Amino acid sequence: MSSRTIIRCLALAACATLSVVQDAGAQRGGRPQRGRGFDMGALGDPNGFYVPPDFMGNPPYDGRFTFARIKYRGYGRWSGREGPGWSHDYPDADVHFVKIVREITSMRPFTDAGKVLGGAIVALDEPLLFKYPVAYLSEPGGWFPNAAEAMGMRSYLSKGGFVIVDDFNYQDWSTFEAAMTKAMPELKPIKLTGKEQIFDSFFKVDMAKLRRGYSGGGSGGGAEFYGYFDKNDPKRRLMMLVCYGQDIGESWQWSGQGFMPVDVSNEAFKLGVNFVIYALTH
Amino acid sequence: MFGALFEWLFKYRPAVFEQGDFALGAPLSVVVIVLVAAAISVPAVLSYLQVKGKSTARDRTVLTALRVGALLVLIACLFRPMLLLSEAVPRRNFIGVLLDDSRSMRIADRGTGTGARTRADFVRDTLGERSELLRRLREKFQVRLFRFGGSSTRADSAGAMTFDQRETRLVDAVEAARQDLEAVPLSGLVVVTDGADNAATEVNDALLGLRARSVPVFTVGLGTERFTRDIEVQRVEAPRRVLKGGTVVADVLIRQRGFDNQTVRLIVEDEGRIVAQVDVLMPAGSDASPVRVTATLGDPGPRVLTFRIPVQDREQVTENNAQRALVQVRDAREKVLYVEGEPRYEVRFIREAVEADSNVQLVVLQRTADGKFLRLNVDSGDELVAGFPKTRAELYAYTAIVLGSIEASFFTHDQLTMLADFVSVRGGGLLQLGGRRAFSEGGYAGTPLADAMPVVVEGPAVADSLTFFADLTATLTPAGMGHAVTQIGTARVSAADKWKTLPAVTSVNRIKKVKPGAVVLVSGTVPTGGRAGMPGEVTFTYEQPIVVYQRFGRGLSVAMPVQDDWQWRMGAEVAIDDQSFKTFWRQMLRWITSDTPGRVEAHATPDQVNPGSTVQLRAVVVDSAFERLNDAKVAATVFAPSGARHDLALDWAVERDGEYRGTFAPTEEGIHLVRMTAATTSGTVTDTTVIRAAPLDAEYTMAEMRRPLLQRIADETGGRFYTAETLGTLPEDIAMTKRGVTVVNQMDLWDMPIIFLLLVGLVSAEWGYRKLRGLA
Repeated sequence: MSSRTIIRCLALAACATLSVVQDAGAQRGGRPQRGRGFDMGALGDPNGFYVPPDFMGNPPYDGRFTFARIKYRGYGRWSGREGPGWSHDYPDADVHFVKIVREITSMRPFTDAGKVLGGAIVALDEPLLFKYPVAYLSEPGGWFPNAAEAMGMRSYLSKGGFVIVDDFNYQDWSTFEAAMTKAMPELKPIKLTGKEQIFDSFFKVDMAKLRRGYSGGGSGGGAEFYGYFDKNDPKRRLMMLVCYGQDIGESWQWSGQGFMPVDVSNEAFKLGVNFVIYALTH
Repeated sequence: MFGALFEWLFKYRPAVFEQGDFALGAPLSVVVIVLVAAAISVPAVLSYLQVKGKSTARDRTVLTALRVGALLVLIACLFRPMLLLSEAVPRRNFIGVLLDDSRSMRIADRGTGTGARTRADFVRDTLGERSELLRRLREKFQVRLFRFGGSSTRADSAGAMTFDQRETRLVDAVEAARQDLEAVPLSGLVVVTDGADNAATEVNDALLGLRARSVPVFTVGLGTERFTRDIEVQRVEAPRRVLKGGTVVADVLIRQRGFDNQTVRLIVEDEGRIVAQVDVLMPAGSDASPVRVTATLGDPGPRVLTFRIPVQDREQVTENNAQRALVQVRDAREKVLYVEGEPRYEVRFIREAVEADSNVQLVVLQRTADGKFLRLNVDSGDELVAGFPKTRAELYAYTAIVLGSIEASFFTHDQLTMLADFVSVRGGGLLQLGGRRAFSEGGYAGTPLADAMPVVVEGPAVADSLTFFADLTATLTPAGMGHAVTQIGTARVSAADKWKTLPAVTSVNRIKKVKPGAVVLVSGTVPTGGRAGMPGEVTFTYEQPIVVYQRFGRGLSVAMPVQDDWQWRMGAEVAIDDQSFKTFWRQMLRWITSDTPGRVEAHATPDQVNPGSTVQLRAVVVDSAFERLNDAKVAATVFAPSGARHDLALDWAVERDGEYRGTFAPTEEGIHLVRMTAATTSGTVTDTTVIRAAPLDAEYTMAEMRRPLLQRIADETGGRFYTAETLGTLPEDIAMTKRGVTVVNQMDLWDMPIIFLLLVGLVSAEWGYRKLRGLA
C-alpha cells in the first residue's frame, strides 16, 4: 500500500466518521441542532429550502412520469454529505430508479435532459407538485410542515396524489405522525402485511432480502410498511405508503457502486417499480 | 274580385277553362273560311298600299296591323270556338264528403274576441242538413258523409259530430272513403279539415294510389294559417334509454307566434317532480326556437318526462304547451374495456372517477412491460388472460372500448379491423385518448381504425424525441354547450363557465383537421405563456379539439387527443371537493355506452299512443358476432299496467334480415312493458321497451291550417283547394271532373264580352290613330 493510498483511506474514514457524527446530531431533535456536530447557522435560513449541489433545476413539465422528490424547509435530518433528510440519496437514487423504470417497464419516464437529472424537486406548497401525482418523501423525521405545507399535503393526497415515504426509523415516527396528523388529522396509519396488491403489482418481491435500513429496524426490528387509506378503509384508495425502518432510496443510490449487495438493490428496485405501477393504476 | 272580373270578361270561371277541351264548331270548312277571309283582306291591304296620301310607312304599318287584327278577331269568331266540357249528370254520381271530427276542430280561430267561432262551427253551419252548400251538392250528386279522426266512419249529418277524436289520419280517411265508394260512380272526394294530420302514414304513398285511380280530392282548409298569439312545445327529442343516474339531453323545439323578444320558462317534470327548467328568449323574427335541456334521472324504470311551458297571457291554444317523452332508465351495468399501452396517470384517475358508478364496469388491460399485462376489474380469471381479444365474440362482449396511449402495431391487422367493426357493425362506442403512442404519433394512419377516428391521422409513427407538444385550455364550442358529456356545471356555475376555470392540459398529438362529419364539443387553445410546437420549434398559435366525435356506422367514435386531463382533478387550482373531472368521466363513459345495442333490440313505434291504437313491435336480432339472424324464434310479452300479460309471436320480416315484427293495441291506459325474447342457437337474449297508452294532445300540435299539405293533395289528385271564403263554387267544380256518369256540354266562346271589347278596341284604335295623324 502506497503512502498516497493510505492517505486516501484515512481521508475517507475521516469523512465517514464526520458523516456519522453529523447524522447523529441531526437526528437527535428532528430539527437542525445548532452547535451539535455542525454549525447550522452557516447554512443559511432554516426556514428556507436547501438546494442540493447537483440540482440543476426542474425539467419542464411535458406530461411524462417524472420522479418527484418532496422537499421541506430547514435542515432536519441533516447529513453533511447529502444535506437535509429530504435530499438524502439525491440525485443518484432518483436517476438510477427512473432508468430502471424505463428499462424494465413500458413507461417512458423523464430520465435526464442536459444537466437536469432524475426528476423534479418540489415543495408541498408549490403548485408544481400537482403536476406529479406520484411523489417521494425521504427522511420524514426532519419534516415539520407549516400550515401551507400541511395544506399542500392534504390537498395533494385528497385529490389523488400518492406519496412514498422512505428512510426513517423509530425515533422519527412520532415526528412523521405529528406532521401527518397536522395534514390529515382524520387518517391513521394502517400496518400492511406485505401481501397487499401494491407489493406484487409488477414484481414478486422477496421481503426477506430487503435491507434493514437501520439497526433495530421498525418496532419489531425489521422492515415495516404502513398505509394511509382514504377514509381509513384498506379497501379504498391507498394514498400514502410508508416504508418504516427502511431505506429503499439508499439501495437505489448505491446500486451502481458495489456498496450494496445486488440482491438487496434488486429487491429495492422491484419494490419501487411495484409502488409506481400500483400508484399509476390504482 | 279577380275571379268575378275574369268570369265577366270571359263568360266562364277559370275552372271551366281548366277542365274544358277547346274545339272549333265552324259550320263551313276551314279552307272556305280562310279563302273568304283572304278575299276580304287582300283588297283592303292593296287599298292601303296604293293610297299613300300624306301617310308615312309607319302609319301604314300601324293601320294595317289594327285592321288585320280586327279582321282576325272576326275570322276567329267565324270558326265558332267553344269549350267541350264533361259535366256530371245530375244525381247520377256520388261524392264523398269527409268531415274532420278531431279535437283540433274545436279551436276558435275564426274571428276574434268573444265572437270567435270554432272550426267545428263552420262545419255545422256550412255543411249542416239545412245548409245551402249541402243542398247544392245534393242537387248534383248523391252525397255520402264521412266523419274522420283516428278512424273513418259514415256520418248521418254534420250536426251529429262531436269533434272529440284525438287523432287525425287524413290520408287513411281518404283512402277508406274511396274504398267505401268504389262500387259507385264517384265524381270526387271532398275533405273538410284543418289539415292537422298526425298519422304515421306516408302521404306520398297514399297520393300515388289516389292518382292511379283518378279520384280527385277537393280539400277545404279550415282555420287560420297563422295564430296571432301562441306558444307551442312542438317537438321533443330525447334518448329512449339512459343509465340510472345518467344525464338526459333533450332537444326541444318551441314555436311561437306573437311572443317576439319575450322570455318563457321551459319546465321538465318527471312524474310531477321538476327535474330541470330553463328560461328561453323567443327571438324576434324567428318562429321556432330550438332549446337543449338536460336532466338527471335517478330512479330506474320507464319515466314519462313532461316538457311544458306555463300557459301565457292571451294564448289562442293552451293545449299545445306540453309534450311528453318516454325514457327508459336502466339499472344495467355496462362493461367498458380500457386498453392502456403504458402505465400513466390516466388509468388511475379515470378508474377513481367511475369506481362509484354501479352502472359502469371499467375493465382495464394495462400493458406494464413488453408482453406483460395487468388486468383490473375483470369478471373472471379467464377474462383477457390472452391479452387483447382476438375474436369478435370476445370483443363484442364489451359495450365500449377506450384506447389509451398504445401504438397501432400492438394490434394485428385483424384486431384493428375488429375495432373498426366494433363501432360500425356492433354499434359500440370507441374513445381514443391522446398520448405518445396514439393517433398519428402512434402509427394509426392507413390502418382500418383510421376511418373510424373523428380526426384525420396521417404520416408514420413518431419517435418520442420528435413528439409535438402543446398546452391547451379548454373551451366549450356551441355544439358542446348543450351536450350531455360536457355538463359539469353546478347550481351556481354554468357548464360553460366551469370549463373556463379548469387547468390547462397538454397534448402530444398534433391534430391538423377533423373529419367532415365530426362534431367538436370542447376545443383547446394555447394559453398565454403556453407552448405549442415541435421540439426546438418556436411557439405558434395553435388550436385543436379536446373532445370531438363522429357517428361511424352504427356506433360512436370519440377522440380526446390530450394526455393529462387528470389535471382537471389534480391541478393546483382545483378545489379538493371539485367534482368536474369525476362528473365528466361518468358522463363520458355513459355516453359512449348509451346507444350500444344488445343482441336483440326491442322497438315500439310509436311508443306513445291513444288507447286502442296500434303499435308496431319490432325486434332486431343478431348473433354473438353481430351478424343478423333470420332463424331465431322471437316472441314479445306485453305487461299491461293492471298486470295483465299478452304473449305474441313476432315474425321475420322477409325483406329485412334479422328483423321480426308484430303489432299490439294497448287498451289500458298507462305504461306497458314489452319484453322481447329471441331464442338463438347461441342462447336466449332479451330486451325491453315500453309503450305509453294515454289520451294524447297531438291534435293541438301544429294545429294551424296546413295549406301546403291540403293544396298538395288537391293538386296531385286533380282536385282543388278551397278556403272557407272560396267554397261557393265547389258543386260546379266537382261536376266538371269528368268522373262518373257525364254528359258533354258545348260552351260557346265567340260571344265572350272580351271578344266584343277587343273588336271595338281595335276599330276604335284605328279611328283614333287616323284622327291623331290627320289621316281621316
